[in-house]
Amino acid sequence: MSTQRISVPAAATGAPKQSGHRDWILRYSTLGVLILMFIGFSIFVDRFLTPFNLANIFQQIAILTIVGAGLTFGFAAKEIDLSVGYTVGLAGILVPFLLIQGWPLAGAILVGLVAGLAVGLINGLLVTKVGIPSLIATLAMGSVLFGVNFLVTGGRAIYGGLPQSFLDLGQGRILEIPNLAFFMLGFALIAWFVMERTVFGRYLYAVGGNQKAAELSGVRISFYRVASLTIVSLFAAIAGVLLAARLGSGQPNVGERYLLDGLATVFIGMTMFRPGTATIAGTFCGALFIGVINNGLNLVGMDTYVQNIIKGLIIIVAVAIVSRSTKLHLL
Amino acid sequence: MAVTLSDIIMDFPGTRALDGVDATFRLDEVHGLIGENGAGKSTLVNILGGSLKPTRGRLALEGATVVLESPRHALRLGIAHVSQEGSLVPALTGAENILLGEEPRRFGGILRRRALAETARALVDRWFPGLDLVLDRPVVDLPMADRKVIEIVRALRGKARLVILDEPTATLEAPEKKRLWDIVRSLPQQGVGVVLISHFLSEIQELSDRITVLRDGRRVATLNAKEVSSSLLANLMLRREDATDTGSPPIETVPIELGAPILSARDWRTPNTEVPSFELRAGEIVGLIGLTGAGHFDFARSLYTRDHVITGELRLHGIPASGTGVRAMQRAGMAFVPDQRMVNALAADGSLVENLTMVHPGFAARLGILRGFTERTEAHRVIAFMNIKASSLSQPIKTLSGGNKQKVSIGKWLYGADDRYTILIFVEPTEGVDIGAKAEIHAHMRRLASRGAAILIASSDLGEISEVCHRALPFVHGRARAAIEARDFSESLFISSISGDAA
Repeated sequence: MSTQRISVPAAATGAPKQSGHRDWILRYSTLGVLILMFIGFSIFVDRFLTPFNLANIFQQIAILTIVGAGLTFGFAAKEIDLSVGYTVGLAGILVPFLLIQGWPLAGAILVGLVAGLAVGLINGLLVTKVGIPSLIATLAMGSVLFGVNFLVTGGRAIYGGLPQSFLDLGQGRILEIPNLAFFMLGFALIAWFVMERTVFGRYLYAVGGNQKAAELSGVRISFYRVASLTIVSLFAAIAGVLLAARLGSGQPNVGERYLLDGLATVFIGMTMFRPGTATIAGTFCGALFIGVINNGLNLVGMDTYVQNIIKGLIIIVAVAIVSRSTKLHLL
Repeated sequence: MAVTLSDIIMDFPGTRALDGVDATFRLDEVHGLIGENGAGKSTLVNILGGSLKPTRGRLALEGATVVLESPRHALRLGIAHVSQEGSLVPALTGAENILLGEEPRRFGGILRRRALAETARALVDRWFPGLDLVLDRPVVDLPMADRKVIEIVRALRGKARLVILDEPTATLEAPEKKRLWDIVRSLPQQGVGVVLISHFLSEIQELSDRITVLRDGRRVATLNAKEVSSSLLANLMLRREDATDTGSPPIETVPIELGAPILSARDWRTPNTEVPSFELRAGEIVGLIGLTGAGHFDFARSLYTRDHVITGELRLHGIPASGTGVRAMQRAGMAFVPDQRMVNALAADGSLVENLTMVHPGFAARLGILRGFTERTEAHRVIAFMNIKASSLSQPIKTLSGGNKQKVSIGKWLYGADDRYTILIFVEPTEGVDIGAKAEIHAHMRRLASRGAAILIASSDLGEISEVCHRALPFVHGRARAAIEARDFSESLFISSISGDAA
C-alpha cells in the first residue's frame, strides 16, 4: 500500500532546468558519434568518401531503413515484431514465384504486400484478442513463416525469367542515384508524416506512452495495437519485394538478418531526439549508423563476423543508454 | 514479552515515510494498526518483518536490540509477515505450502511425502485443534479463508512469537471472515502476538486489544480498543487540513441556482458499492467522502468506466446512457480525471502537447492530418487557461511539477473546447499537488460549474470537499449515506458520517 506509492514531486520540480544541458548531450551524442565515425572513415579509408560509395551506402541501408521504419510504428505503440525478418522473406519469395508463373508485375507485388498485411493482422489479433504478448506471438509467428518460406521454395532460390521491370526496382538508377534510395526516402517520409503529423500517429504514441491513460482518454487501444503490428509487417513486405528485386531472386533465408539489424536501427534511434521514444528520424539515423559502420569496416577488410560482434555491442550500448531515461516494457 | 520499535525513521527518495515512530507489540495481544493510505502502516510492518531496513531507529526483541537482515532472518527470530496479496504457491498443496523450504527430505534432496503431510497436519492440530482444513489439495482449489489460514500456519511453523497480518480479510466473504477472526483471536492465548492491519474499523475494534493510529508517518495514538469509538479513530486517522487553508472561509457555500439533473444513477451496484439513487445537477459540485475502501472512489470511477457494474441505470441529460464504454460516456459529455495521474492519465515520456491532445487530437486535424498552427494555438490557450508552467510544448511531461501535471490531466479535457464536457468526474483531484496549484484547481472547478457543468469529486481530503462542494455524500462500507449540505459542513460531522457511528 503506502510503500509503493512514493511519488517524488518535490525532487522533480527542480530538475528540468538543471538537466537541460545533460538532456541535450544525451539527445545528440549518438548523432555526434555518427558524424565522427563518418569523418574518421573519410580521412582514414581511401575509397570511403566517393560519390559511388556514398550511393552504395544508401543502396545498402535502403531496405533496412524500410524495415526499421515499420518497426518504429510497432515500438511507438510498445509492440515488438520478431517475425519481421521472415515476413521480408515471405514477400521476397511470393513475388518472384508469381512472376515466374506469368503474373503481371503489379498483381504479384500486390499479393506480396497483402501477404504482409495478413501476417501483421494475425500478429495484432493474437496480441489483442487472444492476449499473447507481442514478443511471444511474433516469435512463434516467425517460426511459422520460416517453415512456410522453406516449404514454398523447397529451400532453393527462385530465380531466372524475372521481368526486367521488376529487377529495375531494386537495381536501376536514376541520375546515378540508386532507385532503392528513392524508395527509402519515399517510405521514410511517408512514415515520418504519419507518425508526426496525423491523428493516427498521435494515438499510436499515446497507446505506447501509457496504455491505461489512453484507454481512459477514450482511445480505442486494440485498434491501434493491431494497426501498429500490421504496419510493421506491411513495411517488411515492401522491403522483401525490393530485396528480391535487388537480388534478382527469391531466397528463403535472406530476410532473417533484417530482424536484428532492424531492431538495432530502432534502438539506436531511441537514443536520439526524443530519448526513450522510437521516432522515424531516429530510426533513419540508426540505419545510417549501421550502414556507415558496415561499409567502413568492409572497406577496411574487416571480417563480417566481427561486424556481427560490433552490431551486438552497439545494441547493448544503445539499449543501456535508453534504459537510463525510460523503462523498456515490451512483454 | 514484546517487540519494541523505538524512534523509527524511514526515508524514501523524496519522502519520509516514517518519522520517529515508537511502538510496542506485546506477545499476548492483538494489536490493531490503522491509518489512511500513505500513513506508513505498510512501511512499519515491512520494517517489523525484515523486508525493509529503517533509515534510523531501534528494534528490540524482548529487550535485546536486533537488526533484521531479511524476512528470513525475522522469521528465524519468530516474526512472520503474512502479506495482503498472499504468498502461497497456487499449484502446491496446503501441506507443501506450509513447509515450503523446510520439507522433510532424505539424502538431502528426496522429498519424504508422508512425513511432509504428517508434519503439516501436526502443525495445524497443535495451533488450531479441531480445525477442519484440507491440506492435500492444491491451494488454488481452496476457499480464500482456508488459504489465509494456511499462510498463518506457515508463519507459525518455526519459533513463532509475532505474526503480522496485513488486511487478512480483504478478500473474504462475511462468513469466512468470522472463521478467520476466531483463529486470529486464539493466537495471543497461545503466546503469539498479532499485529493486524485492516481498513475495516469495526474489524479492528472487534479483534484488537490495543490500537495504534498512524498518520503521515507518525504515531498519533495507541489506545485501548475497548474504550474507543469509531469516530474517535476516524478522527485520529484523517489528515488535518494544511495550516494555510484553515481560516479561509469556504467560498460559495450557498449553491448557485441549480439546473436540471444532468446525471442520475439508480440502483447502482458494483462489487464494492451500492448506491440506490444519485443525482448531479448543472452547476453543482458534489463531493464523495469516506474512509479508504468505503467505495466512494469506485462509485465515481464506475460511472465513467462502467467496469464491474452489476446493475444500474444511468441517465445523462435525462436520456438513458447508451453504450457502456468510455467513448460512449465521452460522447454524452462526461469527462474523467482519475487519481494517480502518472498511472492513469499521462504518458510520462510524452511531450506536453502529446498529453494535452490525448483526448481530442482530431480537433486540430483535417482528414486526419494535424495542422500544426491550429494545434499549437489551441494547446497554448489551454496552457494559459489552466496556468500550466512549462518551457515549451515539447517538454516531456515527466519534468513538470506535480501541480502542473495535474493541470495537464485536467486540461486535456478542455483542449478543443472548454464546454465540450458537461459532467466532470474527479478522483483525488489534488493528490500530491502544492497548495498554490490546489487553490487554482479548485478555482477551475468553480469556474466550470458556474458555467453550467456538473462536477463530482471523490477525495480523501475533507478540507478540499468542504472548500469547493455544495453537497457531500458520505460512504460507509460501500453504501452512500444521507447527503450533507454545504451549510452544515463541519469536520466533526464529516468524520462521524464516514466512520459509521451514525448508523
